[in-house]
Amino acid sequence: MTTVMIQEARARDTVGSFSQMPDAAAATVPSGESAQAALAFLAEMSPDLRGAAVLGPEGETLAVTSGESERWAEDAATLFAAADAAEDTAVEQVHIATEQGEVFAIRGEGLAAVAVTERFALASLLLFDLRSILRELAAGAR
Amino acid sequence: MQKPHRILLDRVSAYADEAAAFMRRRRVARKPFARLYYAGGRSADHAQDSTAGAELFVAAGRLIEVTGKKKGAKG
Repeated sequence: MTTVMIQEARARDTVGSFSQMPDAAAATVPSGESAQAALAFLAEMSPDLRGAAVLGPEGETLAVTSGESERWAEDAATLFAAADAAEDTAVEQVHIATEQGEVFAIRGEGLAAVAVTERFALASLLLFDLRSILRELAAGAR
Repeated sequence: MQKPHRILLDRVSAYADEAAAFMRRRRVARKPFARLYYAGGRSADHAQDSTAGAELFVAAGRLIEVTGKKKGAKG
């Protein structure tokens, strides 16, 4: 039934009008304030958190807990690029544990989040929280 | 014969010792790793001495630098 309706709309050239609408991705970018509030909540929930950032669809920082936002954007892009290049496939989540700390990165809902924690942070909980943040930010922006 | 509450305390204490020992072993034995998760739930580990692993660790190191020294670190 839906297919039939779409075909009818296309026949009437009404589908072409969608191309004049604002970019769908840009329309769903959450505000910096809501991203900052989400990070504040994450920091409250995760005692091991040292810093985090929420990134928009173009890789720009929407919010950071501390530090230079440009540096976060640049380093997060480098991390995702290295992760994607590992198997020539886009990754959904990254978890890297080093002697100095642990790094978590996640993509979802057209957004991305990166977090740095102390060693031995509970990975599944943190990834769950990051995923929830992205989902709620995206839902709030719609 | 031990009092019942002593038995319970000893049991709890034994569990706490086991948990503490597990955490100590984990801290000593756990080595750095890079784990990537893909759509569909698949995951892949990359060793630090592999090409992909080395790049991932460098990228992670830069992000850790952004957040500064870890809590309680001196100097």
